Amino acid sequence: MLVHIDGPWSPLLGRLALSEIPYTNPILVGTFIFASLLAVVLVGLVSYLGLWRTLWRDWLTSVDHKKIGIMYILIGLVMLFRGFIDAVMMRTQQALAVGPHSPGYLNSLHGYLTPYHFGQIYTAHGTIMILFAATPLLVGIMNILVPLQIGARDMAYPYLNAVSLWLTAAGAALVMASLFVGNFAHAGWFGIVPVMELPYSPGVGVDYWMWAFQLSSIGTTLGGINLLATIVKMRAPGMTWGRLPIFTWASLSANLISLTTFPVLSVTLALLALDRYVGTHFYTAGLGGNLMLYNDLFWIWGHPEVYFVILPAFGMISEIIPTFSEKPLFGYLGMVLASLGIAGVSWGVWLHHFFTMAAAPAVNAFFSITTMAVGIPTGVKVFNWAFTMFRGRLRFELPMMWAVAALFFLLVGGLTGMMNAFATNDYMVHNSVFVVAHFHMMLLLIVYAIFGGVNYWFPKVFGFRLEQRFGKWFFWLFTAGTATVFIPMFALGFMGMTRRLDYVPFPQWGPFLDAEVVGIAIYVLSAVFLVAQLYVSFRDRAANRAGLDAWETSRSLEWMTHSPVPFYNFAVTPQVHARDERAWRVEHGVDGLRPERYEDIHMPRNTAVPLWLGALSFGLAFGLVWRIWWLVEVCSAAILALIVIRSFDHDTDYTIPAKDVERMERAIRDVPSGRRVSGDLPDGVPALREGL
Amino acid sequence: MTHTTDNAWQHPEVQLAGGGYVVAYVVGLALMGLALWLVRGHVGSPLDLGIAMAAIAAVAAIVQCVLLLHMNISETQIWHTVALVLFIPLFILALGLSSWMFHGLYRRTMMMTVPHAAAAPTQAAKTGG
Amino acid sequence: MSAATTETLDAKRNPMWSSGYGHDAIATKTLGFWLYMLSDAMMFTALFVAYTVLGHTFNAAGGPWATAVAHPGTAFKETVWLFSSVLAYGFAMIALKKGSRSGVMLGIAAALVIALGFLAVDAHEVMTLFRMGATPERSGFLSAFFTLVFYHGLHVVVGIAWMLVMLVQVAAAGLTEKVVYRLLNLRLFWHFQAVMWVFMFTFLYLRGAIV
Ligand code: HEM
Ligand SMILES: [Cu+2]
Repeated sequence: MLVHIDGPWSPLLGRLALSEIPYTNPILVGTFIFASLLAVVLVGLVSYLGLWRTLWRDWLTSVDHKKIGIMYILIGLVMLFRGFIDAVMMRTQQALAVGPHSPGYLNSLHGYLTPYHFGQIYTAHGTIMILFAATPLLVGIMNILVPLQIGARDMAYPYLNAVSLWLTAAGAALVMASLFVGNFAHAGWFGIVPVMELPYSPGVGVDYWMWAFQLSSIGTTLGGINLLATIVKMRAPGMTWGRLPIFTWASLSANLISLTTFPVLSVTLALLALDRYVGTHFYTAGLGGNLMLYNDLFWIWGHPEVYFVILPAFGMISEIIPTFSEKPLFGYLGMVLASLGIAGVSWGVWLHHFFTMAAAPAVNAFFSITTMAVGIPTGVKVFNWAFTMFRGRLRFELPMMWAVAALFFLLVGGLTGMMNAFATNDYMVHNSVFVVAHFHMMLLLIVYAIFGGVNYWFPKVFGFRLEQRFGKWFFWLFTAGTATVFIPMFALGFMGMTRRLDYVPFPQWGPFLDAEVVGIAIYVLSAVFLVAQLYVSFRDRAANRAGLDAWETSRSLEWMTHSPVPFYNFAVTPQVHARDERAWRVEHGVDGLRPERYEDIHMPRNTAVPLWLGALSFGLAFGLVWRIWWLVEVCSAAILALIVIRSFDHDTDYTIPAKDVERMERAIRDVPSGRRVSGDLPDGVPALREGL
Repeated sequence: MTHTTDNAWQHPEVQLAGGGYVVAYVVGLALMGLALWLVRGHVGSPLDLGIAMAAIAAVAAIVQCVLLLHMNISETQIWHTVALVLFIPLFILALGLSSWMFHGLYRRTMMMTVPHAAAAPTQAAKTGG
Repeated sequence: MSAATTETLDAKRNPMWSSGYGHDAIATKTLGFWLYMLSDAMMFTALFVAYTVLGHTFNAAGGPWATAVAHPGTAFKETVWLFSSVLAYGFAMIALKKGSRSGVMLGIAAALVIALGFLAVDAHEVMTLFRMGATPERSGFLSAFFTLVFYHGLHVVVGIAWMLVMLVQVAAAGLTEKVVYRLLNLRLFWHFQAVMWVFMFTFLYLRGAIV
């Protein structure tokens, strides 16, 4: 049944051979040296500080939703960096390879990247930014915040949560592995068929792309289940639907999308895998296959995915603006309905990604109209934010700056989206960099919201505020960079420049591309200030310690527990009385009340099984990529065995006795040290450690 | 609310089980048998048959959802039901909109092979031109 | 701000902390599993989309089409097997209601054996088609057809394996909370296969006989 592939294959290594290691490519060798040095430094640092035990016990085997969230965010940041390097390469290549007389370096006719290499870079950039940067960053933030906002001790399924994390990590690792072993797909992040089919892409690149996508898809589906069940089932007493914090509502809407659409993505990719491995004809050009079926299925997921990433961003903005306007959110109900509405409408617009397919005019018209309808709930949100700020006592601290700036990107991105939404208009701009500029406005809105959210909730998670002076430098430089890159890109779009050009045929586009490179340089400069901000914040953490409520005017439940949050979240589950519970308590003078009686707390035990499952999934996917069948068999068998064995483990939880809770609470209150990080137990209670 | 190990089987969700399973079995088989009989006997035009079968399938699925999967609005089951009800429109959207777009697409691109393509001369002329 | 601003609440009458609060572990687990089953239904839907798009005569690429590969008679036999297995599992759940360990095991064992019957008919049917030359690689239509058949078959295999595990767990651990929620989840999984089969039977097998 397996498709025969020409070329060498051995039972032991499959298609893998020494020649697949790109040791002749100076760029990749440089990257490899950089990555190895980084690894050596990290390993050395961890050994020097004696942190291996901590790393294993407190992080890698943790099922604590806050730590899992932090690890998601770390994956997201690493991949954001990788995606950014890809962007730098694309920008510089396009600026260099302008016109027939432009010079060529490193075996390339123009610029310094061959078309094949350039194709891999833009494919990797999109795949990474959407699935391995934006998605993990947002999933991480939701992971940390939602249980805190609803007064829960953890997610509904802490173990599953860790499984999702490690599946995502395995996917990210697979993308990284493709840098040094073999190559990556070169047919765009959304996969252009039939180029993705075996006859046109016989290498392993597409397989890397496909399995990395698949792992992330499965991880995100499971994560969606977890978050939804958590919100439905784990709310504290009194946390009625009408009192749910707005970020939690946004997360709920987002995860309705992930639960319903990621399965479609999994099927889309599985069918491509069948085409490539067993020779079926789903997306082939001949023998009854239909390549538009791929686009149909892919975008059934693809469009809702963009709302999956934007809704949590909206949620963060909705939390930040009231705090720094010192007013409750305007139009709570409208905001909730708009979030759910966006999730609903996002399910009926996907054809706008292939208006040019030649569907019947009525079909294009229908999808044109549904696409524009998304503007209605989005508009509701924008007005609600505006009315929240109206006559508020505005404080432009860092989180607020990021949040307000995000609104400008929403405006530009939304309006250009509306322009794309006219099918007739889209025939003109489709596949041009105008579309690229459009969705980057949207994705930058998300990035801005994430930076706002990170600045806003950082003190909750780590116990100290981020420094603001370097932070503001970073903000303004980042914004300048964004403007310098994307304003010329819109112009180029109108001038007819198409996407993914490794060679730019018209010299008159050159100056615009040079401007974009300047923008990229400003981005790089801004990153220096980000690092400075982080460094200074960490250095001065004792001075920047935050109390329960770092901003004094926060409103929701997460600001009622300690900063950093202890591993059990709340010593005693709070009773909720109002929509903005903390604001309500402050108003009634019952803020900071201590529970008079403590109770036993049930907590899930740490486990290494999710980590192993992630590692084995990586092995499985790697085996599939290189067609190393024994590895595939061993890893699948091990995964199944591990799942069954784990189901026989009865010792998965433990109890913290009430008196220990009290002891820890007292220790946290009495020693407000800046050194403690999230979840760390205070010195007074070492005994509990053994139970973990 | 937490259930200890010794009485876990008294949980309300366990107590949902009952004679409905037998009813679901009988009704399910009867409906599938009916559909088979209709098709085997070619009772009616293909279109009528298609509609009748879809209707039978819908009834059978609903009966099974109610009797086997206990979809109802009781306190234990309400969220299961809500989730299903939220999903059903999406099943219909995915299938309905996809078939609609490909129906139009095939008429415009597979003119030799799609029997009804001739019935849409204006559109065919447009693509052909 | 509101008039209540200055007034301090009596923390005794408006409790700020809730004591004795726990979550219903079983209900939490079954909800999550049900959400998973719905996502699985979405995967079936996507496969049905593929089958709809690739279901035309020209998608058969000159090879066998629905009229040749869909055998409603055999499919009805499979229906009987599958529904009976589902019923047997239902009996296991009725036994669980009374806390009868042996009843649960008997029901599951019966469901398992009957499910094997389903698989045997299914496998035989597929082999017959393969011998006819109707294989997934033949055409887009057959790819979509067989993928649906195999995907459903895979569920039955997983169900059988899960039943085996549960037989061991019920025997070894008894009807503990963990075992009970898994039995409930397996009920959702297994009964859900019956619902999916209704659509398979109607749109895969019967539809082929009409046109
Ligand atoms: C009011 C809201 C929006 C409208 C009306 C809209 C409309 C569109 C349209 C019509 C296209 C297709 C253009 C073409 O390929 O010719 C498009 C592409 C795209 N949009 Fe949007 N969009 C909206 C919001 C968003 C959001 C929130 C995001 C992401 C967070 C986003 C991300 C994208 C992406 C990634 C693409 C291009 C995908 C690709 O071709 O690679 N859009 N948008
Ligand atoms: Cu879209």
